[in-house]
Amino acid sequence: MSLTSSLAASTSERRRPAASLLTRRRRRVGIMLILPALALVGLLIAYPIGQAVYYSFTYWNGLTTQWVGVSTWTQAFHNTEMWTALKNNAELLLSVPFALGIPLLVAVMLHQRVAGWKIFRSIYFLPTAISWVVIGLVAEHFFAYSGTLNSLLSDIGLSGVHTNMLGQENQALIALGITFIFSMIGTNTMLFLTGLATLDPSLEEAARIDGASAWLIFRHITLPHLSRFIQLAFVMTVISAFSALFSLIFVMTNGGPGYSTTTMEFLVYQTGFNQSQFGTAALYGIILFVITAIVGIGQLRLIGAKDS
Amino acid sequence: MSVVTPAPALTEVSRTRRRLGRALIFLAMSVMAVVMLYPFAIMILVSFKTNAQYLIGHGTSVQTWREINATLPVYQELWNSTVVCTLSILIILVVGVMAGFSFAKLQFRGGNIVFLGIVSAMMVPLQAILIPEFVNIARTGLTNNYLGAVVVYAALGTPFSIFLFTTYFRRIPDELVEAGIVDGLGYWGVLWRLALPMALPAIATVTVLQFIQIWDDLLVGLLFLQNPGERTITVGLAALAAGHTTSIPLLMAGSLVSAAPAMLVYLVFQRFLVRGLTLGIDR
Repeated sequence: MSLTSSLAASTSERRRPAASLLTRRRRRVGIMLILPALALVGLLIAYPIGQAVYYSFTYWNGLTTQWVGVSTWTQAFHNTEMWTALKNNAELLLSVPFALGIPLLVAVMLHQRVAGWKIFRSIYFLPTAISWVVIGLVAEHFFAYSGTLNSLLSDIGLSGVHTNMLGQENQALIALGITFIFSMIGTNTMLFLTGLATLDPSLEEAARIDGASAWLIFRHITLPHLSRFIQLAFVMTVISAFSALFSLIFVMTNGGPGYSTTTMEFLVYQTGFNQSQFGTAALYGIILFVITAIVGIGQLRLIGAKDS
Repeated sequence: MSVVTPAPALTEVSRTRRRLGRALIFLAMSVMAVVMLYPFAIMILVSFKTNAQYLIGHGTSVQTWREINATLPVYQELWNSTVVCTLSILIILVVGVMAGFSFAKLQFRGGNIVFLGIVSAMMVPLQAILIPEFVNIARTGLTNNYLGAVVVYAALGTPFSIFLFTTYFRRIPDELVEAGIVDGLGYWGVLWRLALPMALPAIATVTVLQFIQIWDDLLVGLLFLQNPGERTITVGLAALAAGHTTSIPLLMAGSLVSAAPAMLVYLVFQRFLVRGLTLGIDR
């Protein structure tokens, strides 16, 4: 015992000078290799966060800045546009259950592997590849006064009903929400299908032989197995609802009619680039950041709780 | 004997029920397929009409396709998209491979904290930093050429790329790296000859994912490519749509042109895209 330990000690002593030379060299190369990444992320992501905080305390039109303290903040919180945008964001969250539920159903159906399921899978994922600008343009045609929705309605005998959802203040957000749900189907189905693929098929088989109904199998075997995937899809969908709708809004409604489809992310753009109020726009950006960060950290907490 | 006879009857019933269930699933999936193919059908059908034909609801024509380049410079904008995508992805790959190798195999003090910092930058939505970012880049003059958008795309794509490459390079045994050093390859040699070949699937995943993301993006291109001649196809399309004067058939034709390359990449490299999107929960 003492022999081995002294041997080990002497080996490590003998190696130490060489190792420290290697360690130093390794550290130098290691730091050199991360410098480009550090510069890119530091200058273009981290530094602007600090700037956004600073500029939110200034009056800033993009050229000149003037320190105004918290007055931008107090003004913003008295601004009805901001509250409208937050309300729109909150209402858009109502689409999240559909953006998760439909893909869950689709994934479970695909998982039954009926004839042609691989072709169906490719078809369902195909819209994932195309830009939300394109989806927005197609959606505009779908909801338009002379568009697909109205011709469908007249086909089923409701020719008296003429919708114009994108032109109506109380319906435009619903149309946007439906388009958002459509846009999320591919990604979330993909996620759930990956989850289902890791499910041991013999479990379902055994339950079926024991006479469990399809619903019972789904409720007590499939769903618990998918919980981690559903959590991830939930967070990704919520964050998308806050920060990925810009393209859809830009081509479908441009935030209107009025402010009825202006979300926080669109308000950042409008305030900054249509109204040139850069300080206020920076402030809206910070609020958006805080909201998405809370959702993201909540997710990390959940994962952390599971792991420990 | 009387115990055995009911059994076949039971399986017969359950088999019929099962077959019926599968037929219903097939039906439901077909309906879903129609819904998901709707955008593509609309783009194709509407693009083969003139604006007049679209408004009255019948007739077909190739006129829109023949004249598209006059309103939407598709060749130029497809080229712009290609240039912006290629440059951005190259930066994302090079920076990601270097940093990923360093974080995974060249442990140094503070490395983990820097890694966490960079990876958490994935969670920063662009809109949160949009205003200062735009002012900074505009001040350097980069918004007047491709580089303005390229550096922003590169910065946004780098955190995920580093995360992915670090995960990949961690699988390489330390002994292999040490053996490479002892054999005189040097760290660059180990990175280039040992690590890089093992990271080919990760390179494919990052490339496909970023290609689709950058090709399809509007916000960065809209703000950071101020010169209309350098617009990407997606930005050109959105700008045209915002102009209010154009015909729907033209917009649908443009949509199809802009969607085709991304769809092609997606269909060929579906495997890598799925892996990229579901990464982090597989393990």
